[in-house]
Amino acid sequence: MTLPTRSDLALLGRWLRARVTIQLRTGRAVVFTFAFPLVLLVLFNGLNGNAKVDAVGAAGQVPFAQFYTPSIAIFSLTTACYTSVIIGIATARDSRLLKRVRGTPLPMSIYLGAWLGGAALTGILAVVLLFAVAVPVFGVHVYLSTLPAAVVTLVLGAACLSSVGLAVATLAKTADQATPIAQLTFLPVSFISGIWFPLEGAPDWLTTIAKAFPLEHIVHAFDRTFSPGVTGGAWSPHDLWSIGVWTAIGLFVATRRFSAEPGTPEQGPRRRVLRRAA
Amino acid sequence: MLTNDLEVTVAARGAAAAEQDLAIRVRGLRKSYDGAIQALDGVDLDVRRGEVLAVLGPNGAGKTTLVEILEGHRAADAGEVSVLGHDPAASERAFRARIGIVLQEDGIDGSLTAREAVELYSAAYPHPRAAAEVLDLVGLGDRPDIRVSALSGGQRRRLDLALGIAGDPELVFLDEPTTGFDPSARRHSWELISALRDLGKTILLTTHYMDEAQHLADRVVVIARGNVIAEGTPDTLGRGAGEAALVAFRIPYGVAADELPWPADAEIERRERHVSFRTHTPTRDLAPLLTRAAENDIELEALTVTRPTLEDVYLQLTEEPA
Repeated sequence: MTLPTRSDLALLGRWLRARVTIQLRTGRAVVFTFAFPLVLLVLFNGLNGNAKVDAVGAAGQVPFAQFYTPSIAIFSLTTACYTSVIIGIATARDSRLLKRVRGTPLPMSIYLGAWLGGAALTGILAVVLLFAVAVPVFGVHVYLSTLPAAVVTLVLGAACLSSVGLAVATLAKTADQATPIAQLTFLPVSFISGIWFPLEGAPDWLTTIAKAFPLEHIVHAFDRTFSPGVTGGAWSPHDLWSIGVWTAIGLFVATRRFSAEPGTPEQGPRRRVLRRAA
Repeated sequence: MLTNDLEVTVAARGAAAAEQDLAIRVRGLRKSYDGAIQALDGVDLDVRRGEVLAVLGPNGAGKTTLVEILEGHRAADAGEVSVLGHDPAASERAFRARIGIVLQEDGIDGSLTAREAVELYSAAYPHPRAAAEVLDLVGLGDRPDIRVSALSGGQRRRLDLALGIAGDPELVFLDEPTTGFDPSARRHSWELISALRDLGKTILLTTHYMDEAQHLADRVVVIARGNVIAEGTPDTLGRGAGEAALVAFRIPYGVAADELPWPADAEIERRERHVSFRTHTPTRDLAPLLTRAAENDIELEALTVTRPTLEDVYLQLTEEPA
């Protein structure tokens, strides 16, 4: 293990920019990461008639959007960092993009690091865009006192989701398998993690299961920073700790599984395409 | 005694110099998949620096496995492999900075432009070539800002070639570089590969096209069933191991075959007026025949003298034993 040199950092920066550019030019990613969450925001608002609700304590009335905007933001972050990393990496492997990279002097760690960083940056950008609409249009409040905790949660959450995404991507043997794997892991967990429904009334066993996954911690820690009437910095050390542990697990599994030799040439993608066509 | 020592020293120096002159040296290379399929069964191979070597062989012969081991994509089961003095299996960054790989069907991000792709993928090499220059070389210089996804099949292959040489490597691996090209694109690629050779690059190419090997390669290696079964220059291989030239013509009407001076030691095949024989000395054997024909104003119809082509030899060599 050698320390990265200055030129390696320049290389990482270059690939990071390229990854963000590629993400922003990919139609599917733009629709699901940027457009779809905005549509959700507008729909939720329409369904609720932009109702005002009484907040706990002295905060007075706040728009209902105050509660679901942070959740939609985490949904958007998950799409950018988790789902798109799984599908993207599996597709890259299937189309032999990873093999191309392996044949060049570009270290795989820089390539994958740029991939994760690019996904995280895109996700954070999507969240910023969401709030840029929600604050002026729907009257959502961003509190200065809790902003540091919100930003830290967002950044750690992005790192966590993309590294877990990379680990899960190694489970998909083909690009075809990647989408169901991504959706079947994300959707059920999202329902028990408080993105769509608050977890307050849920039975204990369900909450226990939810807390075993990182998403609930990200949602909880982020939502808290937008909770009206919250006092102090709204830091959630327990959640942040869990997010950090999951990031480490994701990176560990990914680096362990990411060194395998590709299959025998007879099992290459060319054959698979033929079989599918037959 | 003194002379002997001197001779030994000179011989040893010669051997060392020859070693250094090698870009690729392979001895006893073996590789099997799942312990069952013996893809490579003791391959020996030398490629000199600056040489263009064509590796021929039917599908499943072990070509791809051999090339992938040389590129560092796969580890060998047994044998010595040295590529530019490196063990490719170690996959060192310094090694990968000195080779260029042009594989069929390797993926590339479709939303990048051709220029961006060349710049991005060559950024990790110590001395990359300018993107504009590389795109000019492969004939994409007029459309550098076209998206990769918008390139035609042939243009994509040219971009693959551009990515393979953008890092200015010493050794270039070309996997069937012109498969699927139209004739003019093929000619263009041949010119490009010749240009690379003129720059002193070592090139290892696999191909199915005999004319491609004949046109581009200094030397040809034929691989079948996991072994090198023949090697030589395209011409010596084409001549084959003792393969004789084939003389064929038609005897005109009104000429009796007995009137002609046939070569004594050739086995002559006759089917009605069609005559053919194989000979190692076509000039000597044809001289009396042609003299007699010319003296008597006889035209030997459809007279041909042909040597087996590389293709004939290849087909003969790689034929599965019955």
